[in-house]
Amino acid sequence: MITTFLDIVISGLLMGGIYALIAVGLSLQYGVARVLNISHGEFIMIGAFGTYILYKTAGVNPILTLAICGPVLFLIGFFLYKTLFKILLAFSDSAEIFEGKSLLASFGLLFIIQNIAILIWGADIKSYSFLNIGVDLGGALFPANRMVTLLFAVVISMTFYLFLAFTRMGKAIRAAAQNPRIAGLMGVNINQVLALCFGFGALMASFAGGLLSMCYPITTTMGMEYTVIAIIVVVLGGLDSIVGSFIGGFLLGIVGSIVTYIEPGLALVAYYAIFIILLLVRPTGILGK
Amino acid sequence: MKNKVFTGLIMFVVVVLLAVGFYTTNTFAKDKIVVGMARPLSGPMATIGDSAFKPIYDTWTDEVNAQGGIYVKEYGKKLPIELLIYDDKGDLGTMTRLTEKLIVKDKVDFLWPSCGTAFVFAQAPIANKHGYVLITAEGGATHVKDMLPSLPYVFVSLSFSDWYQIPVLAELLGEKGAKTAYITFRADLFGIEYSGVAGIEFPKHGIEIIGLNSVPPETKDFAPIIKKAKASGADVFCAFGYPDLVLPATGTSMALDYNPKAWIGGPAVNFGFYHTTFGPAAEGVLGFTTFACSQSKAAQTLCDKLYKGKPEEINDWWGHPLYWAGLECWKQAIEKAGTLDQKVIREVLATEKFNTVLGPTWFENGLMAKECHTGEIGQWQKGIFEVVGPTKNATAKFVYPKSIWPAPPKK
Repeated sequence: MITTFLDIVISGLLMGGIYALIAVGLSLQYGVARVLNISHGEFIMIGAFGTYILYKTAGVNPILTLAICGPVLFLIGFFLYKTLFKILLAFSDSAEIFEGKSLLASFGLLFIIQNIAILIWGADIKSYSFLNIGVDLGGALFPANRMVTLLFAVVISMTFYLFLAFTRMGKAIRAAAQNPRIAGLMGVNINQVLALCFGFGALMASFAGGLLSMCYPITTTMGMEYTVIAIIVVVLGGLDSIVGSFIGGFLLGIVGSIVTYIEPGLALVAYYAIFIILLLVRPTGILGK
Repeated sequence: MKNKVFTGLIMFVVVVLLAVGFYTTNTFAKDKIVVGMARPLSGPMATIGDSAFKPIYDTWTDEVNAQGGIYVKEYGKKLPIELLIYDDKGDLGTMTRLTEKLIVKDKVDFLWPSCGTAFVFAQAPIANKHGYVLITAEGGATHVKDMLPSLPYVFVSLSFSDWYQIPVLAELLGEKGAKTAYITFRADLFGIEYSGVAGIEFPKHGIEIIGLNSVPPETKDFAPIIKKAKASGADVFCAFGYPDLVLPATGTSMALDYNPKAWIGGPAVNFGFYHTTFGPAAEGVLGFTTFACSQSKAAQTLCDKLYKGKPEEINDWWGHPLYWAGLECWKQAIEKAGTLDQKVIREVLATEKFNTVLGPTWFENGLMAKECHTGEIGQWQKGIFEVVGPTKNATAKFVYPKSIWPAPPKK
């Protein structure tokens, strides 16, 4: 009985770790930079393909590839905000108009990135086997690659949380999330902070993609599936709460694990049921204000 | 009077010249065969389309055009093939609209198939309604068999569950003494059909199904399912689904040290990327197939054409030879008919035999006859996806029980 309980909880945490990492990136981009980035999944896809290609062609350890792909994606995200979204912001009369325009622009980005990826890497399935061995925890076996994924998801998220909580830049980001106008008046370079947030969001997506590729097959069209999961988790956790997204990811993972244990076909139903109940009971999300 | 006769003669000559001109324009000025396709060049279905029928029609068309095209007696010359391909983005509605456009507006000479079983169901009645011959590629289902009597212009090339994969699998397993099976299947038409046919065929050979799980397409965590299967102690584990199910299910089976006597999955195991993903650990895994290179000279030639010098990932041992054979049948039917008239070509396809990579090939009630299949069940053995069933076509003996996964769990 205890083994079964452990089995379900740890399975949920393993899945939840990935969900959390995916969602933290989107939460940053929407919570602070006000861009509901529908192309978030495409950044995950690029991270996954980066890891796959470095591993398959150059034999780079998939975990090490995170240190290569992450900064590249960060720069891409940073410059995307500095160019595309900054222009949109300049031509928007209000935050609401900017949100609408950036949503449409990110839709466009989704198709552009996806089609470029199809042209470069094709549309077929890519997969590799990494750490496909079992780890015994309290009598229950778990795949080692997913344990590594959970470990890195937690480490990356915690590091980022500490960065937000204790560094000057982190405080500037939090200030910008609470009130960008006042933060600007207090001397925070808002445009720089927003661009950094978008870059950090892309960085997180890249990490998530790299970790995902260790456990699941990848394709150039995989992005939308993960964008949907990220949106569910972000809404669940609270639109402006990075910690909330983290908790939301794990909550979704554990619920999914319990339901999958009973009947795998009902996992998605359970996700949406939680989503609807939370919207009715607490529309701002778990930690939203 | 003379003037009237003269005018009449002039008019007669003009009419005759116009008629001859019109006839010759249509008969002799034909310089190519335009083939239309609505294919998933982007979107979620592109993953399947790119690795299945696309490499076949690309290679085959290049080869035929390099020889000058297809000889059509009606025109007294070879006509090269020109492909007109629209992107249906993997959307069923878009595919049907594009198919209508290809027929009605573009007036293509022939139609080649869209991608996926559901798409076959949607496209077949359209092609049939307009009297266009359609030899399908990626798609086949038991239910298609029921539709075919009312769709005389539609011909199905791909083998599928009860045509004749699962009966052969059940026989192979039964002969080796398998007694129990655990089945997990994707919750869609494909998975339901394969598990349903297994439910009929396995008991005929003394195999009891002791576990059955459907999994929705978005399932990521297969550990609970693999743990249940392991706990059941079943001799055979079946994963009837697409690569998004079969690849993680294989990885999870390895990680959780689940070693049934037979592990079958598909479609996925039949692709080269399955082997490149798992390497030697794929040893003994079963999947669906049609041929192996060593089976015949023709098979070896096709292997060389399609795969030599290319990454192993592109190999598809199940669909590729059948799609190739379908196109060969189509070409030979045109040559035998001597015309591009769809009705005549349909008649030839329905009644005659053709020489293809599979050997003598023909259609039986719209399906490529099962006697033409040069394999149904394959097994990875020393890096080659060997044909192990039916026994008469086998390129290697069926290994049962399979060897254990080479990566033991760390405890």
